[in-house]
Amino acid sequence: MTYIGQSVKRLYDEKFVTGKSTYVDDISIPALYTAFVRSPYAHARIKKIDVTDALKVPGVVAVFTAKDINPMLRGGVRPWTTYLNLQSFRYVERKAFPEDKVRYVGEPVAMVLAVDKYSARDGVDKVTVDYEPLQPVLTMDEALKNQVIIHEELKTNIAYDIPLKAGDVDKAFKEADKVIPVEAINERLIPNPMEPRGIVARYEGGNLTVWYSTQVPHYMRSEFARIFGLHESKIRVIMPDVGGAFGSKVNLLAEELAVIGASIRLGRPVRWTATRSEEMLASNARHNEFRGEVAVKNDGKILGIRGKLVLDFGAYVTITGGVQSAIIPMMITGPYDIRNAEVESIAVYTNTPPITMYRGASRPEATFIIERIVSTVADELGLDDVTIRERNLATQLPYTNPFGIRYDSGDYVGLLKKAVEKLGYYDLKKWAEEERKKGHIVGVGMAYYVEIASFGPWEYAEIRVDENGDVLVLTGTTPHGQGSDTGLAQIVADALQIDISKVRVVWGDTDQVPMSMGTYGSRSITIGGSAALIAANKVLEDMKKVAAQIWNADVQEVQYSNGVFTHRADPNKKLTWDEVARAAYSKHEPGIKESAIYESDVTSPYGVHVAVVEIDENSGIARVLEYRAYDDIGQVINPALAEGQIHGGAMQAVGQALYEQAVITESGALGVTYADYFIPTMVEAPKYVSVFADTPHFSPYPTKSKGVGEAALIVGPAVIVRAVEDAVKARFNRTPIKPEEILNALKLKK
Amino acid sequence: MGVLANKGEKVKVRVRVNGVWYERYVSPRMLLVDFLRDELGLTGTKVGCDTTTCGACTVIMNGRSVKSCTVLAVQANGADILTIEGLAQDSKLHPIQQAFMDNFALQCGYCTPGMIMQTYFLLKENPNPTEEEIRDGLHGNICRCTGYQNIINAVKDAAGRMRS
Repeated sequence: MTYIGQSVKRLYDEKFVTGKSTYVDDISIPALYTAFVRSPYAHARIKKIDVTDALKVPGVVAVFTAKDINPMLRGGVRPWTTYLNLQSFRYVERKAFPEDKVRYVGEPVAMVLAVDKYSARDGVDKVTVDYEPLQPVLTMDEALKNQVIIHEELKTNIAYDIPLKAGDVDKAFKEADKVIPVEAINERLIPNPMEPRGIVARYEGGNLTVWYSTQVPHYMRSEFARIFGLHESKIRVIMPDVGGAFGSKVNLLAEELAVIGASIRLGRPVRWTATRSEEMLASNARHNEFRGEVAVKNDGKILGIRGKLVLDFGAYVTITGGVQSAIIPMMITGPYDIRNAEVESIAVYTNTPPITMYRGASRPEATFIIERIVSTVADELGLDDVTIRERNLATQLPYTNPFGIRYDSGDYVGLLKKAVEKLGYYDLKKWAEEERKKGHIVGVGMAYYVEIASFGPWEYAEIRVDENGDVLVLTGTTPHGQGSDTGLAQIVADALQIDISKVRVVWGDTDQVPMSMGTYGSRSITIGGSAALIAANKVLEDMKKVAAQIWNADVQEVQYSNGVFTHRADPNKKLTWDEVARAAYSKHEPGIKESAIYESDVTSPYGVHVAVVEIDENSGIARVLEYRAYDDIGQVINPALAEGQIHGGAMQAVGQALYEQAVITESGALGVTYADYFIPTMVEAPKYVSVFADTPHFSPYPTKSKGVGEAALIVGPAVIVRAVEDAVKARFNRTPIKPEEILNALKLKK
Repeated sequence: MGVLANKGEKVKVRVRVNGVWYERYVSPRMLLVDFLRDELGLTGTKVGCDTTTCGACTVIMNGRSVKSCTVLAVQANGADILTIEGLAQDSKLHPIQQAFMDNFALQCGYCTPGMIMQTYFLLKENPNPTEEEIRDGLHGNICRCTGYQNIINAVKDAAGRMRS
């Protein structure tokens, strides 16, 4: 029996289709409900907060502001210490509430706690806040001027400013036949998982329990310990079902610190579930601009890139906001053998909602920049998209890029050729040309990506065999929709050669799983699966030892195959998996239990995606008709689940490329409903074709897999923008491409 | 019709949900979705957007699909309501539920109850929809994970199972 490589059905779907799933808001616990009083100003001094009337509202139990909660905190939100160097950033640790001034529209300034959510909301209406409005800093350009400072303590709005340089950039530009200016801009997005974030905090007898819609329960446990001055051993973080996250739930909100603070202060459970508007304020993403130039030879060989990347952090540093500023520059040469590059990366504070990472986190931005560069160069030199890439792709794998990032395995040129063929790229190009002759505005685009996935430093797994032979897998990863739990079960069932129905996977409870990193960065199957595989191999050895004991034999004499242990010398001696498991518990032995940590660095999936777009001549609205992907993700554990990741990522890529933009008004207010922010619906969904390399290049991980969670959103925006360019025959360097831009470009053609 | 209730007064709401009659006294401003979730404990129906856009809260009320985040509980007085919890009969999954599982039509699962209830309504109205009709019929339900193709496949599959 082999499960790896099979589209095994997801093991835990039934609760989701029957309404028995339990997200944090579904947890039944007598708790106070929270509603927040939020700032109507982007930048204003808080003069006075009057809560007297709010406390008179029936059902309201307490109203807290900065003076009530902040003194309980020994620290606040800071960058992700797992991956980021704190010294690289200028920041103020964010507390529960601002003490001096508000820094974005929607920033919470007070919390109302009440016996039901309607009363809590009533209380909010009765809190009076006096503000003295200040000049807001709403754009990155304004922020860079440093005329108005958002965090006075920092004396600047610049949060990060680190130049990266590799090779001899000046020489590259001197030797160039041509220097071509390039630009790549990603507008602000909102990740928008369908489950708005939520939290329930209960503090009793010195123990804090937090039910939390998060991707990283252990990291949050240590953050809660640091911030509230509690021992980690007294804190339990439980991740219930989580309704999507896309990176946005590696995020600790001021609101969540307030909820925990209130539960400690009141000694009562307190809960808060974000409304959609609050969810949209909780996590914004992308919003960065790259401007630079590229040195090329006339044959298309790219000699060097230099430029400046400016990124928005929003009003406060978040755990993950800094990921983009640190990693985008390091990935800017993409899969190409470009040795000379220079990027200054500058992140600024603005009076806007804080920025977090979002699916791909830095690799979509870097890919968009380099693919814009390569396609622009192709256009300027009159080369086609395949040729320009063929001439520049790295040919010797493993390949270390100029900033030291190592791509582990692959055949970049080979995949390009294969993908073009398998995805029918040239046929589509030909079709589009014919259609355009008939007056249809259609286009076909492609782009290439290499990414880094899995992200160490390590992951944990534990496997227990119970006395009935059933297997419990405790994973440090935290699946929240990907189905990687099923993938882990496949890996373990194969390693132990048992039926997958005997395997159950659990995660997300810090009292069950001793340590973990979590799920993000396409890491769960690869690094989590490798830890599980190692633990499974240890378990199998333990089982063999038990069998050997029973037979009074040496463990070397025990063979195992498909659930049956046999004696090498005596074929009559047979024991089933279940019999050995039972024996492991019989003599007051503690049974079978093994754990493993797998430590590793990144691995590098890569591929080519192709999109077909159609544009409505009258409205300028573009639609992606087809989205085709060819990816080398190493060993594919479950093709249907992997394809699902491509589909979902591609849909978000369609959104980013064409429809999604977080709008901030002149007064600094973010549009916070689905009427303001357009999430693609079934009508906008393209037809997807997802193909995985028939001769994959494995990663060095025990699972041989590479990861697929983010690929389509990493490369998709560049693919779709290129298809629009093909349709309209004009250049677009900004996502989303709006219908009016397309209409203008079409008008100019006429 | 006179005033439904004076300020602060609760009103009686009597509804039949998944075949069971319930009677509760609630604030007249209580939303149907909160009534189902908080009063009846039927948390299978989810809240995704509060503005009738995402469809996570979709339930069937008197044979029509409604987004229960923008229906008042009092408006449902006397109504017959079907929620995701009422779809399986005697622990046997409804063909739509089975089709969603078999076609990998869910990832995080949060939109799934609403998506399934809207599919239930769509297939009741149109037992053999074309792909375009499926897209049109479900475009009021947002999924952020799947990219929709597997959902479309599941709806087609369910339609086939229900016709046979």
